[in-house]
Amino acid sequence: MAAVYKSLSKGALKADKETDANGTVQRKNKQKVLILSSRGVTYRHRHLLNDIAAMLPHGRKDVKFDSKSKLYQLNELAELYNCNNVLFFEARKGKDLYMWFSKVPNGPTVKFHAQNLHTMEELHFTGNCLKGSRPILSFDGAFETEPYLHVIKEIFLHIFGVPQGARKSKPFVDHVMGFTVADGKIWVRNYEVREVEKVKGADDNDGDDKSTKGKSKGGSGSGDKDTDVSLVEIGPRFVLTPIIIQEGAFGGPIIYENKRFISPNQVRADLRKAKASRHVGRMEQQRDTLARRRNLGLEGDGAKKKDPTGLDTRELFA
Amino acid sequence: MAKKGATQPPKTGPKTKPQTRGGKSAQQKGDRRKSSEPVVEKMIEDDGEEWEDESDEEAPETNGGKGNKRKARDDESSDGESDSEGSGLEHGGINLEGIDDSDSESELDSDDGADKDEDGEDEEEEIDVDELSAEDEEDEEQIAAGTRVRQTINNKEGLLAALRRFALDTNPKTVPFVFHQSVVSSKNTEDSIPSIDDDLQRELAFMNQARDAARQGRALLCKDGVPFTRPTDYFAETVRSDETMQKVKAKLVEDATAKKAAAEARKQRDLKKFGKQVQVQKQLERHKQKRETLEKINLLKRKRQEGGSAALGATEADDLFDVAVDNELRSAGNSKKRGAAGDSRGAPNTKRQKKDSKYGFGGKKRFSKSGDAMSSGDLGGFSAKRMKSGGAPGGGPKKGGKAPRPGKLRRQAMAGKR
Repeated sequence: MAAVYKSLSKGALKADKETDANGTVQRKNKQKVLILSSRGVTYRHRHLLNDIAAMLPHGRKDVKFDSKSKLYQLNELAELYNCNNVLFFEARKGKDLYMWFSKVPNGPTVKFHAQNLHTMEELHFTGNCLKGSRPILSFDGAFETEPYLHVIKEIFLHIFGVPQGARKSKPFVDHVMGFTVADGKIWVRNYEVREVEKVKGADDNDGDDKSTKGKSKGGSGSGDKDTDVSLVEIGPRFVLTPIIIQEGAFGGPIIYENKRFISPNQVRADLRKAKASRHVGRMEQQRDTLARRRNLGLEGDGAKKKDPTGLDTRELFA
Repeated sequence: MAKKGATQPPKTGPKTKPQTRGGKSAQQKGDRRKSSEPVVEKMIEDDGEEWEDESDEEAPETNGGKGNKRKARDDESSDGESDSEGSGLEHGGINLEGIDDSDSESELDSDDGADKDEDGEDEEEEIDVDELSAEDEEDEEQIAAGTRVRQTINNKEGLLAALRRFALDTNPKTVPFVFHQSVVSSKNTEDSIPSIDDDLQRELAFMNQARDAARQGRALLCKDGVPFTRPTDYFAETVRSDETMQKVKAKLVEDATAKKAAAEARKQRDLKKFGKQVQVQKQLERHKQKRETLEKINLLKRKRQEGGSAALGATEADDLFDVAVDNELRSAGNSKKRGAAGDSRGAPNTKRQKKDSKYGFGGKKRFSKSGDAMSSGDLGGFSAKRMKSGGAPGGGPKKGGKAPRPGKLRRQAMAGKR
């Protein structure tokens, strides 16, 4: 029975793939994402990974990957799981998280440094959405300005966008993922879409705009005319700083490198150095003071000078 | 990362160079186009020899110079052939914005070449070396300062080629929205963020961007007849579990109750503070009222008296009333004072009198216990015998006490023995 169903549905799929009524070939968006982390992730990284995996019905979570240097092995792994995208969490020093987004057979690969991670659980937002519903991906206009941002946008579209008709996806749209470029970083947010009664007085402009839209649609929408969308954040939140883009999948020439990115190690070292320099300065000052005092004969052996009159008690009763 | 060097042979030149020539490049950018063609030719001619000359030394310093020359050659060759991916890495003329820093290096060198065209290659070489060594110093300085300079690599052709290779078709004319469900906003969100550190403003801008996208997406999906809203009777697993949502709800409730309790407590505190004020106010008011009443009565009395003397024809009843009022007033006004003075009670009882005489009542209490001529002259309590027997007022040497001091002779004898 199952086989029959499978064959039937396959046939349907094929029909879907074939030429449309007007002759254009319908492309199928087939994406599968391998989601995995390196060893040494913290609980926060792990929760973030789980959150993202929960949002991606086309994702395939795998066990921790054991190497940080031989990342090209991920290609084989992805091939093994029939995945054409890899989302790899690389944790360093038990605190820094680097996220690799890669298209597997032949690139490109984008490496990000992830900061300000907040998982769904720790953010006490009231939003919620269906597991595996397809999100609307909202990209900042800045993504169209630079080629590297364009590449990043495309890769986000492949990895975070749930393909149409994905196996575990739900048929309704109830959340929006926002990607914004600000301060040289990419800020990722996830919101629930709630439909609310439209407030007439509150936003006149919007209301008018909406109502005209509704008319043009001719009522094809389901109750679109008198409802508006409001967003409630769901989480997780994180900020990605692009570091490099490689042409291949975990390999190949680097076609973009972010000059503005400063490694967290560098930041920490600078902090430490600044602190150390303060200490060194203090010690130097102390040494100078000591030397000066010694020169004046106020310190050390000559601290108590002999009484020139010879009437010192120690002198007298020696 | 190890592949970086190996996979980018044409880039070795600009790679070692920090971005320190911004000023120079700006002024030289203009005349570059004009001068480039003859210079490049010249350079190419020189190139072969120089190349061999330097290859013997192969010091890391000469790396940059070589790169530049090679780049110059690249420029030349690119006129003829279309750029392939590999060689298209850093064509100066094409990628001006992204890599103008590294570009400026080559411009600088070629310009130098233009100036010193007649002087021959020796001098040119010298200049190169000088520059490079200066650069190296800068490099060292930067390394010493602890700032690693990242190279600007922004290979736009490469990026676009990569994009072309894997991009999905999202053209709204050929592909329905439901295929990709992505919305690119028309404006940059960053422009609407006044300060990136202002959390509220920033999140609001993000949310506005997402909301606009949601509106747009919803409109498009509804137009295509794709289900958008989840029916109320559609139950399925959600991203956040019920437990989490319960926790969130509990937290919300907790927050709300805490806020409410705080407000209540503040109200109570205020009330208390205010209540005290009210009490004081009331007391003052009562005092005032009393004073006023008394004054009024006194006034009345005086008036009465004056009136009484003036109007002799006052009735008997009036007089009676007068007396009564007077008495009443006196008793009311002075009762307390009289009570305190104790006038009305008369002398206290005998026991009290005795005690008063003994312990004293009234009068001056100061210095009552200090000595005076009388007390010092009074030797009533003195006994010579008691004085001799050790000073203890009890009388007689005590058994357990210290032994009395022996007489003088005995003492001397004891001293002699020792």
